[in-house]
Amino acid sequence: MSGKTFAQKAIERASGEHDLTPGQIVDAYPDLYMSHTASWRCIRTLEKMGVTRLYDVDRVAMVMDHISPAMDAKTAADHQLCRAFADRMGVRTFYDVNAGIAHIVLMEHGHIKPGEFIIGTDSHSTIYGALGAFGTGVGFSEITAAWVTGKLWLKVPESVRIEITGELPVGTYAKDVMLKLVGDLGADGLTYDSAEFTGSYVDGTSVSERMTFCNLAMEMGAKNAYVAPDAKTTAYLVEAGLRPEDLRPLRPDPDAHYRDVVRLDGSALTAQIAVPHQVDNVVGVGEVAGTKLNQVFIGSCANAKYDDLVIAADVLKGNTVAAGTRLVVTPASAAVMARASASGVLSTLIGAGAMITNPGCGACAGNGGAMADGEATLSTANRNFQGRMGSYQSSIYLGSPATAAASAIRGVITDPREVLESGVSA
Amino acid sequence: MNLVEKILARASGRDSVEPGEIVIATVDRLIMHDLSGYLTSQVYEQQVGKPIPHPENVIMVFDHQFSPPTERQATILEHNRTWARNKGINLFDCGSGNLHHVVVRRGFVKPGMIVVGSDSHTPVHGTLGALAVALGNDSHAGTVLPYGKAWFKVPETVRVELHGTPREGTTPRDVALWLTAEIGEGALNYQAIEFTGPYVKGLGFWDRWLFPLLCVDLGAKCAYLEPDEVTESFARALPGGYDAQPLRGDGSDAAQVLRYDVGQLGPQVARPPTVGNVAAVEEVAGTPVQWAELGGHGGGRLADFRAAAAVLAGKRVHPRVKFNLVPSSREVFAEAVREGLVLTLHEAGATWFPPSTGSNQAINMGALAEGEAMISTHARNFPGRNGSPEASMYLASASTVAASAAAGVITQEGHR
Repeated sequence: MSGKTFAQKAIERASGEHDLTPGQIVDAYPDLYMSHTASWRCIRTLEKMGVTRLYDVDRVAMVMDHISPAMDAKTAADHQLCRAFADRMGVRTFYDVNAGIAHIVLMEHGHIKPGEFIIGTDSHSTIYGALGAFGTGVGFSEITAAWVTGKLWLKVPESVRIEITGELPVGTYAKDVMLKLVGDLGADGLTYDSAEFTGSYVDGTSVSERMTFCNLAMEMGAKNAYVAPDAKTTAYLVEAGLRPEDLRPLRPDPDAHYRDVVRLDGSALTAQIAVPHQVDNVVGVGEVAGTKLNQVFIGSCANAKYDDLVIAADVLKGNTVAAGTRLVVTPASAAVMARASASGVLSTLIGAGAMITNPGCGACAGNGGAMADGEATLSTANRNFQGRMGSYQSSIYLGSPATAAASAIRGVITDPREVLESGVSA
Repeated sequence: MNLVEKILARASGRDSVEPGEIVIATVDRLIMHDLSGYLTSQVYEQQVGKPIPHPENVIMVFDHQFSPPTERQATILEHNRTWARNKGINLFDCGSGNLHHVVVRRGFVKPGMIVVGSDSHTPVHGTLGALAVALGNDSHAGTVLPYGKAWFKVPETVRVELHGTPREGTTPRDVALWLTAEIGEGALNYQAIEFTGPYVKGLGFWDRWLFPLLCVDLGAKCAYLEPDEVTESFARALPGGYDAQPLRGDGSDAAQVLRYDVGQLGPQVARPPTVGNVAAVEEVAGTPVQWAELGGHGGGRLADFRAAAAVLAGKRVHPRVKFNLVPSSREVFAEAVREGLVLTLHEAGATWFPPSTGSNQAINMGALAEGEAMISTHARNFPGRNGSPEASMYLASASTVAASAAAGVITQEGHR
């Protein structure tokens, strides 16, 4: 038989099974069960069932990132229930409303390792593939079941190799690459596939950029995403407090079987925009340039990491947000906020007129940044569904942090090259 | 005449006025936040509807919401923006800061002015020697917006003299809280309070601010300090400057003179359910808190963040406490970044929020669950104001808030 893909190897490791083939259904034991603010749903279910013991409390990770801090008594009570549960059960991997977005926080703090099988109550759990882990989103019932039984059934996915080559032109970034792919392949282009990113461009990317790939792979329906761990991955994990000798990365075999191979040459890319109301509704920035924006949101697990804020700050430096446009910046985590504060990036953003909010999901998850009828936001997040940010009669455009920054300066959707090439505006 | 009488005489075109008289006076500034502004605009459009002759005197600041969590709230803000733009009203959008701080820092308030607003803490502008009064939204819609005028009954003036020097580690906030209890909630209904005496006159502008702030809980119509060198140099440095001679009272008899000795006073806390339920910190020491916040009308000043950084030096926020930092203005936030306070306090475990009124009324953040407690620099602690009616809000100085955030319980330890 042919070699194995990453997904086959990861699921074999997590299930103890051998020689798995795509389509097989197996029980696997996740290394970590991530749940966010809505963990209260799982807790209520457990309480109804009268369960008092968990399979392995050290695999439970809770992060209060959505709707943080509480905006009403109901949410406050939900948060309180989660804290009390974590206390009672001895959940040590508990991050409260001040920590940031679950995915980013867990990766920054060394909770995600290459080759691990991670499930999370968030569809963008595919992001853990940036560190070479098998990450996938599940429902609250699945997390609850895993808490108790330690296992979860899943079907071994087929794999698709995505080879990206070429050097990106000025003004284009990992986000543009991904929006281009989502547009080309469609929202169902990789349904239940394991997406392995490879190619000379991918090899040269930072861990932060890989997070953007793996995060947005979800928007093509991928079961999980993967970038092969390398020296940059190890350096990131060491920074996160792990020891290289404890890492057990998995790599696909050279002769593994792929359902498809998708090739993209990035050297002719332009800034991409997902226009309302579907992520795969993607156009070059030129087609929508000039669209009036009431708000620009730089946030979310897709694009509010430190490197993303640096990209935005480079564009915003010496410029001012247009009158009539609000720029909301929500750092992905407390650590991102600290770096931005220490490096001067925060000062640049504030100086340009940005409003900095507390770290967390922020406007992406509907906590703040809601829009009224007829308003439009350009967001660096990963979803632009109708009504996701307030009114059904409002519009969400998705783009890179550079496009967001350039558009905030002009008050309309703007190709970042216009600002990058003209330098500081008069 | 006392200062309030002089201002009302000037603004009503009279030579003199006496307490108890009713006058119609020209208003210099109308200040509104996102919620009161919305209600005022609704009444105005439905029942008045004519152009506003002097929109340059009207200021709206979005401060209760810095980032609307729902479509409904977003719609309110969008309505306000459109209305302000169409009318030519000064608008400061989300993230600008606390209404009262923004209008002062942007130079809209000057000594001797009449300032009205529907926020109950509007009298705080008496710190600048202005007559500042909270009116209802209907008054603003009915007379202030269309005619630039409002009627006032001239209040009696009560002089509150503060003498002595409190203990080291006791801040003006502690004195202001203590004074609220000493004078008594509702004790000075419809009166004007002049804060004077060597203690309060020895304070800088932003510390004086804390005294007129709390006059609403005494029932007062307004409160002020006589303009002096501190007031004038502060006013001169504001945008637009100030080179006039401020109106001053002539030392006329007051209806009452209340003298207090603040000597030996220690740190204070206002316990639920009201601002006047004040006790020495020792009396509530050990009460667990899950939340701490520097912000709101009684906080968010640069001095508060400096005090917190001093208290937290070498310490961290208690693992069970969420410590929110809410600057009162963009200017304070930018300065806190420059001074390194943002990084220092962030690394100590606190979380920064956009300039706003923070958890005030829990419109955008700061809802508490049943049984939870917050200690803060806010101006109000009524049950149910922050989420569950079974939650508790304690009001204290920035130093006590920071010390409690580190300890996880109310404490004054670490005070210097």
